[in-house]
Amino acid sequence: MAFNYEKYLRLEKMPTLWCWGCGDGVILKAFVRAIDKMGINQDDICVVSGIGCSGRFSSYVDFNTVHTTHGRTIAYATGIKLARPEKMVVCVAGDGDALAIGGNHTIHGCRRNIDMTMIIINNFIYGLTNSQTSPTTPQGMWTVSQKAGNIDPTFDTCNLAIAAGASFVARETMLEPKKLEKILIKAMQHKGFSMMEVLSNCHINLGRKNKMVSAMENLEWIDSISISKKKYDTMTEEEQLNLLPLGVLKQDLEVREYCDMYKEIQKVHQGERKKITQDDFVKKI
Amino acid sequence: MGTFTMENPGDQPVWVNTDNCKACDICVSVCPSGVLAMRYEVKSTLGAMISVEHPEACIGCQECELSCPDFAIYVADRKELKEAGVSFAKLTDDAKARQEAIKANNYYSLEQGAR
Amino acid sequence: MATREVISTGNELAAIAAVDAGCKFFGGYPLTPSSEVMHVVSDLLPAIGGVAIQMEDEIAGICAVIGAAMVGQRALTATSGPGMSLKAEQLGLAQMAEVPLVCVNVMRGGPSTGLPTRVSQGDILQSKNPSHGDYKSITLCAGSLAECYTEVVRAFNIADRFMQPVIVLLDETIGHMHGKADIPTLEEVQAGIVPRKKFDGAPEDYFPYECEHDEPAVLNPMYEGYRYHFTGLHHDKNGYPTEEIETCRKLIQRLDDKVALHEDEVESYEEFMMDDAEVMIIAYGSVSLAAKESIRHLRADGIKAGLFRPITIWPSPATKIKEYTDKIKNVIVVELNIGQFHSEVQRAAARLDIEGLFKVNGRPLSPHEIVSKVKEVF
Repeated sequence: MAFNYEKYLRLEKMPTLWCWGCGDGVILKAFVRAIDKMGINQDDICVVSGIGCSGRFSSYVDFNTVHTTHGRTIAYATGIKLARPEKMVVCVAGDGDALAIGGNHTIHGCRRNIDMTMIIINNFIYGLTNSQTSPTTPQGMWTVSQKAGNIDPTFDTCNLAIAAGASFVARETMLEPKKLEKILIKAMQHKGFSMMEVLSNCHINLGRKNKMVSAMENLEWIDSISISKKKYDTMTEEEQLNLLPLGVLKQDLEVREYCDMYKEIQKVHQGERKKITQDDFVKKI
Repeated sequence: MGTFTMENPGDQPVWVNTDNCKACDICVSVCPSGVLAMRYEVKSTLGAMISVEHPEACIGCQECELSCPDFAIYVADRKELKEAGVSFAKLTDDAKARQEAIKANNYYSLEQGAR
Repeated sequence: MATREVISTGNELAAIAAVDAGCKFFGGYPLTPSSEVMHVVSDLLPAIGGVAIQMEDEIAGICAVIGAAMVGQRALTATSGPGMSLKAEQLGLAQMAEVPLVCVNVMRGGPSTGLPTRVSQGDILQSKNPSHGDYKSITLCAGSLAECYTEVVRAFNIADRFMQPVIVLLDETIGHMHGKADIPTLEEVQAGIVPRKKFDGAPEDYFPYECEHDEPAVLNPMYEGYRYHFTGLHHDKNGYPTEEIETCRKLIQRLDDKVALHEDEVESYEEFMMDDAEVMIIAYGSVSLAAKESIRHLRADGIKAGLFRPITIWPSPATKIKEYTDKIKNVIVVELNIGQFHSEVQRAAARLDIEGLFKVNGRPLSPHEIVSKVKEVF
């Protein structure tokens, strides 16, 4: 077979509780393949997830895993990372978890540039709790908490992450698992905060009342709203309005990573260097 | 738990684990070669089950395995298959046409009639 | 016990105690009147290779602490009333997943923004059930400067013993009180550290949440070859989520029993002149200092008063309280809230005639006020 997943799965938990055709399963497999390609030991990585269908991700993989409260994924992961900075931390959360209740922690994770990867599985809805509006649900779609039609404007996850200061920002869909695997590797290899948005389908909760009842229809919709960054950059603003660019949207290797900077603090207090001042930073404000 | 098997039942280029399949149609849609299709299955939740209709047409691209969310379909390792004296097919126009027909038939096997 | 004399404030002593007790991680947020704890640890921890981080809000503060505790470190947070309210959900997860940590609450006037720079003892009931659901809170209350140190040290050992959060209550008066204290030496403290239990066998034989009905989970540090799952959901022996009927019932019962059946290990109180007492004053925190002074005045006036001071507030020293209230008719609870511990005393004593002196204007109680009240009601 292409890949033997058994080693990385908690087999006694299988099959997954995800609906038929749910992108979460495809993303899980791509993630496992990426970890394997990177040669990371299962004991050296911690997967932290939030609440929601994507939050169940952590219970299926055989790593050190933490299932946190709604929205607090990055906050827990920050403590886990700072306690053992040399180990790897990957966060997995949904669009509601990361951008609604967890919005504050997401922007501060980006700002701090702490070395971890945040995979936001964006299915444009609250799936597990059945169809409530999320900060990425398109306006005008039917949701169970806005049956007259959603009036809430949407976030662009990647623009938010870039503005908040994340040093690696990328977006992919689960339509092309090989591409997804490659970009996950890039995100996880990047030293600093990596924001990895993965567009996924929830035909059960978003699709069924929004003309996308089957997995395939939902996937076709995702295909229609996403396009490679290369093509996106050549388009007019009007054409860009309803498209999300895919690929690595930002990678800044100059920004210093938080754990490294904290090591300097430890050196100051241990008398190994003088205090940190504004002169140590290029950015003065 | 015992349903979670990945063993090749016997020198097949592609094989399925019907215990895991949730009949989402994704693998059928990504196959370029018309190898796969759904078939009616009254005992399964959505009334359908994956079937490997034309294994001989499998080109080993692995798209089905990579796109399956539920660990229900597997493609043999190219080397292992060669050692068993079997090889993957090449993509033909007939196979492509069959794939289009299956998609137009709502991912159901052409032998089952229109869905 | 070997001691050393220090001059410090309550908040600073709490911070020093944590570091002396082996704490390696602090996560928090500034909140009057607890901020000094954070200020002090942010210097002490990096000096010993630990981490102190000011997070973006109170919730992130305790989340980071729980994360570090999951990795295996002794971890501390410090806050006040509004912060406790914010941290409630996460304290619940720490209870459910059995993650040890110490949360210092320097009580201030409440509710809500209340009186940020003034004293109260209004978080007693909140400490009993900061979060929803069933579990047994362990809450200690420092009644002197020295106890700001010793109770935090004890809190870390209790947290590791019972694998859950331990709340240490200071009140603003004691947190900001500056004076002399006799505290144990560093060697004493370090010799007394009892770290959490660890499993030594093969990883495939390791089931973190499979334990006796009155024992806490055995959670090995992360990244050492023992992989398992932390979750706030009901879980099985591996930590994996489950809804199985018996597993769920046993889990919740165990969260209660692990403390309820071992209360003697956390019980702590002071009996001041109670041997021949005919008036029992119950007070804790900074009020107990005024109470002790008031007892000297009362005794000089011929009233045989004594102080019963709970140090472990939850689980409450109900049995001991009842021993006294069964033979002493005149009992008064003196506190800086409207009868929060008073209600517990009435419950423990099975009496409805316990007197109370309650002050809620953000000012401390003076010995004079206590003397007057005792003379008035008894």
